[in-house]
Amino acid sequence: VSFLSGLVPGLGIVKGMSLTLRRFFEPKVTVMYPEVRVDVPGKFRGRLQLLYDEWGTLKCETCFQCAQACPIECIDMGGIDTRGRYHVHWGAPETYGERREESALRRSGRTVPDPAYLPFAPVDLGALDTILEEHDHDPARMLSILEATQDAYGYLPVAALKRISHLTGAWYAMIYGTASFYGHLRFEPPAAVEQAAAVTAHRPPEADYVTALQAALGRSAGRAGQGRGTAAEA
Amino acid sequence: MTVIAKSWGRLTLPGKVVFTLIPVLLAATVGLVAVIAIVGPSIVDILADNLPIVRFVVAATVILLITIPTAFLIIYMEMKVIALMNLRIGPDRVGPFGSLLSVVHGLKVLMKEDFTPTGADPIVFTWAPVVVYLASVMSLLVIPFAPGLFAQDLNLGLLYFFAIGGLSVVGLLMAGWSSYNKYSLLGGLRAAAQVVSYEIPLTLSVVGLILLAGTLSLNQIVLNQAGWFTDWYIFQQPLGALIFFIAATAEANRTPFDLTEADSEIVAGFATEYSGMRFGFFFFAEYVNVFIVSALFVTLFFGGWNAPFPWPWPATVSFDPGSLGIGLLLLVAIVPLVLTFVFAAPVWLASSRIKGWQALIVGFVLANLFIMAIIGAWAYIGLDWVAGIVWFLGKTYVFVFTFVWMRGTLPRVRIDQLMDFAWKWLLPASLLNLFVTAVAIVVFTSVRTGP
Repeated sequence: VSFLSGLVPGLGIVKGMSLTLRRFFEPKVTVMYPEVRVDVPGKFRGRLQLLYDEWGTLKCETCFQCAQACPIECIDMGGIDTRGRYHVHWGAPETYGERREESALRRSGRTVPDPAYLPFAPVDLGALDTILEEHDHDPARMLSILEATQDAYGYLPVAALKRISHLTGAWYAMIYGTASFYGHLRFEPPAAVEQAAAVTAHRPPEADYVTALQAALGRSAGRAGQGRGTAAEA
Repeated sequence: MTVIAKSWGRLTLPGKVVFTLIPVLLAATVGLVAVIAIVGPSIVDILADNLPIVRFVVAATVILLITIPTAFLIIYMEMKVIALMNLRIGPDRVGPFGSLLSVVHGLKVLMKEDFTPTGADPIVFTWAPVVVYLASVMSLLVIPFAPGLFAQDLNLGLLYFFAIGGLSVVGLLMAGWSSYNKYSLLGGLRAAAQVVSYEIPLTLSVVGLILLAGTLSLNQIVLNQAGWFTDWYIFQQPLGALIFFIAATAEANRTPFDLTEADSEIVAGFATEYSGMRFGFFFFAEYVNVFIVSALFVTLFFGGWNAPFPWPWPATVSFDPGSLGIGLLLLVAIVPLVLTFVFAAPVWLASSRIKGWQALIVGFVLANLFIMAIIGAWAYIGLDWVAGIVWFLGKTYVFVFTFVWMRGTLPRVRIDQLMDFAWKWLLPASLLNLFVTAVAIVVFTSVRTGP
């Protein structure tokens, strides 16, 4: 039949017409929504399925709508995003709204001006490999490895943590847990910490005035009376 | 006096209008009756003396009026059929199964602002929709709907049809030119190029049929096809019918040849600048054209108002209701009542849960359907024009459905493909059809009459 379709002119028309005629007699599944409502469970969200396009790539655009709508918060987004950048989405579903905006921006083709992506920038891993050689790739000496890494890089880059996880065999989440448990280990460059301190130091003169006023009155501004736990923080 | 003034003051505005109108209407009615009583006979005499003119005026008016419900019906059909083909439901809100939606569309169009763009040529712009609609309506004048039911039986009917059909191009070109808009102009030029090109294969495709029929009168062509469905010209002119159908699709500017108003390319073509009822006329003319083209196709190739089989064989039912006299009155009074009870009884007996009044309602509806069926059957058998119009409209709407079906399926062709198809395929094919038919006629007649 396929070789005939090229030879006989109008066979495509006949095929198309027969298709539309079959569709014409097919029962329609439309639900007259405002009048008729399908009786479904309250948490029903349809059938969840990841679809692939004709080139075999995932059609998921990491829009986070599924994760945001998930009533029992069982969906988490992760893996490779549409730009091929690695990103672990780690956190509460409440933050998905912001990530959806990010995702929309990313899909629009523009660069995402988001400092949250800076920790994921690739770093030179030569120093880290030396450190791991010294520690014999032993996950039991994790704290020592992390301290040496911070000494080498000034902070703990995400790429380094991934490398440690890869070479020692420890889970990324456990390394992250260890690193976040200790106060002297940090995930941002120290420059960011200094910048934050500088911002705090540059308080406007009004703030000093309010502080002085609060000290004089013995109560915090903006509150009437001496409520419970109203000690001036400054 | 004060009582009257008080009563007048209590009336609402509609009440005041009605109370003013009633005496005026009464006076007018009395006056009209008096005028008819005095000069009526002479008017009737004048009308009777000029019966052909009266008949033509009445027929033209009726034709003009029936185009409107026809257009409504086809617009609704298009919306509903294409929706069903798209696995949608389509219009379902206004009227039963949404069948009044096209009427609502018509009212909407009627209420919109009638707008003439700056720079447009106002006279040409105003007359363009009139010309287009007039061309459609005038083509309908020669279509025989049933035996004896046609506006004019021109002996040049087919030629007249093509000539008037060509007039619609003038309207489209007027609309495109006067709108002062490049899309309109493109649409108008496309319309001119397309319709003029397709008019040639369209006309040539029926020349073979004209040779066979020996007449240009559409009524006579239909009469020639009487008898069994094998007498229809489709079986003698299959190629001609195919060419005619394709070319007629292009003539009516229907998908896949709807380049004149290709909304994805040139907005709405010649109708871009039109709004309100002027646009409505273009819109209506398009759907009336679909009806006309289907009707002509049926008339030429599918036997017109002839039934596909000569039925009923005992062709006459000689029953005159007037011969019953007073019995007719009794029949009209008693039969519906009796039939209601007759049809209600089995429903009532069928289930103890059905109450008496419910059974009576069902019986009433069934009895009415039964009576309507009986009267319809009597009309079908006894009046040949009823049977004719049933078959004619049935066949015509089959082809209207086909046009809608094609619109639901086929994509639009390109303008060069359109022209190539007309000049390189349809025109040679129609010439071939003509020559083969002519040769066949010569051979057959010489065989029959001897050398």
